Amino acid sequence: MSVPPPPSDDDALDPKLTRRNFLKTAGVGAVATSVVGLAVGAPAGKAAVLGPGAVPLSLDVNGAVKKISVEPRVTLLDALRDNLGLTGAKPACDRGACGACTVLVDGEPIASCMMLAADVEGRKITTVEGLGTPEAMTPLQAAFVECDALQCGFCTPGFVVAGTALLKRNPDPSLAEIKEGLAGNLCRCGTYGRIFEAVSKAAKAQRSPAKKG
Amino acid sequence: MAGDTKFTVKAGLPGSPRTMDVTVAGGELKPWDLDRLPEFREVGKRHPRLEGPQKVTGRAKYTQDVQLPGMLHGRMIGATIPAGEIVSIDISKAEALPGVRAVWKADSKLIRFAGQDIAAVVAVSPDVARDAARLVRVVTKSRPFTVELKDAMKAGAPLVFSEAESPAGRDVQKNGNVVGPKKGRREGGRGDVDKGFAEAETTVERTYYLPVHTHCALETHGVVASWEDDQLTVYASTQGVFAVREGLAEALGIDRKNVRVITEHMGGGFGAKLGPSASGSSFAVVACRLAKKAGAPVKMMLDRAQEHLCTGNAPSALMTVKIGSKKDGTIVALRFTSYGSAGIATGAGTSGPAGALYKNNPNFTADEYDVFTNAGPAAPLRAPGHPQGAFALESAIDELAEALAMDPLELRRKNESSPVRAAQYDVGAKAIGWERRNTKKGPAIVSAGKVRGIGMACGNWYVFAQDSGISAQVKIHRDGSVEVFSGAQDIGTGFRTAMAVIAAEELGIDPKTIAVRVGDTRFPEGPGSGGSVTTNSVAPIVRAAANKALAQLFERVAPVLSALPAELVARDGNIFVASAPSRSMTFKAAAGRMQGEVIDALADRKRQFATFRDDIAGVQFAEVEVDTGTGEVRILKMVSVNDCGFPVNPLTAENQVIGAMIQGASWALLENRIIDKNVGLMVNPNLESYKIFSPSDMFEAQSILTPVANLGNNTSTAGLGEPPLVPTLAVIANAVANAIGTRVRELPITPDRVLAALASARKKG
Repeated sequence: MSVPPPPSDDDALDPKLTRRNFLKTAGVGAVATSVVGLAVGAPAGKAAVLGPGAVPLSLDVNGAVKKISVEPRVTLLDALRDNLGLTGAKPACDRGACGACTVLVDGEPIASCMMLAADVEGRKITTVEGLGTPEAMTPLQAAFVECDALQCGFCTPGFVVAGTALLKRNPDPSLAEIKEGLAGNLCRCGTYGRIFEAVSKAAKAQRSPAKKG
Repeated sequence: MAGDTKFTVKAGLPGSPRTMDVTVAGGELKPWDLDRLPEFREVGKRHPRLEGPQKVTGRAKYTQDVQLPGMLHGRMIGATIPAGEIVSIDISKAEALPGVRAVWKADSKLIRFAGQDIAAVVAVSPDVARDAARLVRVVTKSRPFTVELKDAMKAGAPLVFSEAESPAGRDVQKNGNVVGPKKGRREGGRGDVDKGFAEAETTVERTYYLPVHTHCALETHGVVASWEDDQLTVYASTQGVFAVREGLAEALGIDRKNVRVITEHMGGGFGAKLGPSASGSSFAVVACRLAKKAGAPVKMMLDRAQEHLCTGNAPSALMTVKIGSKKDGTIVALRFTSYGSAGIATGAGTSGPAGALYKNNPNFTADEYDVFTNAGPAAPLRAPGHPQGAFALESAIDELAEALAMDPLELRRKNESSPVRAAQYDVGAKAIGWERRNTKKGPAIVSAGKVRGIGMACGNWYVFAQDSGISAQVKIHRDGSVEVFSGAQDIGTGFRTAMAVIAAEELGIDPKTIAVRVGDTRFPEGPGSGGSVTTNSVAPIVRAAANKALAQLFERVAPVLSALPAELVARDGNIFVASAPSRSMTFKAAAGRMQGEVIDALADRKRQFATFRDDIAGVQFAEVEVDTGTGEVRILKMVSVNDCGFPVNPLTAENQVIGAMIQGASWALLENRIIDKNVGLMVNPNLESYKIFSPSDMFEAQSILTPVANLGNNTSTAGLGEPPLVPTLAVIANAVANAIGTRVRELPITPDRVLAALASARKKG
């Protein structure tokens, strides 16, 4: 087995060689091949490289197209929070382990910390802010409040988005299906039981809206 | 004391009231007691939390969400070796990176744990800050290190501190990394333990171990620091805005009056967020310095790995319990010895429950030893030391019951000293179905490869309160709207809503119409949220301030209702004459009669009453199912019976209790900070291999609150955030032992340990 030579100091300290940037550069490559038009002014043969400077992106968020300019390595989560002021999705683990950053991309719940903003151009993004407002909550949001399915509330937007997606694909989930549908989200305050109750309650309310209240 | 007032009240449990006199500070209100309990309009009813709509729609702003114009992003850089010397820190490349605005490096030359502050950078974006962090060149010289409790205790283990450097007090005995013994919370114990053991007819001595647990709040530690001339505003994810103000003012050498700290919402703390920065980092101080240097606001949030490494944890514990009893189960001697590691800090004592439970036992002693390791310093975690201590004590009580061939519940009843806990046993036993418990020797088979067991354990906590130097303010506006102000923060407990309920009860209005402003050092001083003190420290002053404001309103409207102010009552949104309820006007109309624009009342906290009881009782029960083929433990049901005085809002209070059980279940079955002893680095500083309970692990959880007129203050409220975690580790260990017919004495109770215990029992069998 051959052992590669140790990197020189400069290599080791090169910010381009971090895990995060490696993933992001790889991700950008994928984007540039699928959305070739994005590779602004890149010479032939090197079309797979975006940036490193900021590039313009159009994001369809909560029904409106927003233009932003971000480095290609910026995650969807950071773009939503830092560029669009949508801070409902939360950073908590930075690697898709906790679900606090869950948003809908074309209706599917995804961890927005694991996706690049450049990868979602042309797709429909819905954040928790796009579901309901404090004055006009969705049945699920209202059920979260009524059942007190939250404590500190930091994980709550992620659970609300994941629960919304669950009810869309399964309007009448069993307890086991609710647990499975929310299994990618963590709550450290320990409100799981209340969250299950809220999802059940909202499912009932959505199935028979006339009987509500 | 001069000016004191005496009231005759009905105290204790509703089923067994005790009429007693309480002497309180002059000007105190008549305390809410058992006579008042059935009369409550709002207290004890289920109120959805006021900030719920903001939180479920993503509008609630946490520190992590604060965005200020021109704000820069900071990043703390931690040591990547567990012990050594810093030879040099070269920040020149980082400073030269475009977009970097300021860099800080540590003065300290010694590294004692991986994750210790080394340097920090501030840049125009989080990504540029991350790049810059990679460019900081740190040259270190490693030293020998020790990271595991049992290794660090050995003679010849590398020393974390030399004797001169040791943070342990001068009077404490030191032996290598081991410091102690300290006598624990109950100084000196009771009676003569050796004599007690000599008189005992049955003696059990067992040793238990559990590793370090980390807090894992989903919002990491962090601040946003912003200067305007000499005025510093800090948004902080903290459990104590006032502690942050004081800590930062001191560290920065500026006046407290020039520091404002704001925490509107915070994403969990569990004890790790009580100081200005964190137990193992000065990130907040550094963020303030760098904001000054860069001339722009700085947000500095720690990342998930740092959250595990330098912001605190619950100490590990190696505990030996020796109990002696008579044949009938009467405990006559108890010796509790614990070794625990709080990393580079002290504070790993776990003898609290051993000293506070079973107080009828005349002979008790505890020795607590702290063991230094090269790991981040611990921080308080929800009843510090008590879940660990109760794990050992309450496991040993079950083992004594087994030795005596006695029902463990009967053994506890026999030795119970608290009337509240005695009542709670019946409630909990009924809720879990204690009679279904496995009473045979050996595993309790329910189906092929599946066994089930039921266990229980007790917990204790103390009625702590901040009873001086804090105040609360109530305003009644001319349009009838009401505001309540307390600087204390709502860390997710529902404190905000509880204060609305208290004010509403006193003012006779709907709590939903009250705005409660919290988490700001510009509001009246409040306690830090540690020790389960927030609600019961502030509730009595919110009540007092509301009472004062209402008295002013009564004075204004009494002539209109042709009555004296003392004859008026406020209830259900109306103010009326007690003897003639038809002489009435709405609260809103009454407020409209004001001469000025607002009634503004402030009340100061008066001293805690001589309480009916000084402890908070709780018992828990659990039923588990164990797969004897895979060793997997699944919790089926848990019941927690708790006393929190008068529960203000059971909807949020029960939520907290259940949350504590889940955190404890997670601790007992999954959580384990693993440090590679070869390199001294944590191998699971994340949320995918440091496992915490997820929705799929969830069980049926029930919280039963037993109202107690404990007369600690004028609202009879007591703490609840911490006590329900105290018994949980033991409950699960006891239920598993009941299921598999043998005992796992080391947490977490992972499948491999269950299988090993079963195999060893078969061999002995």
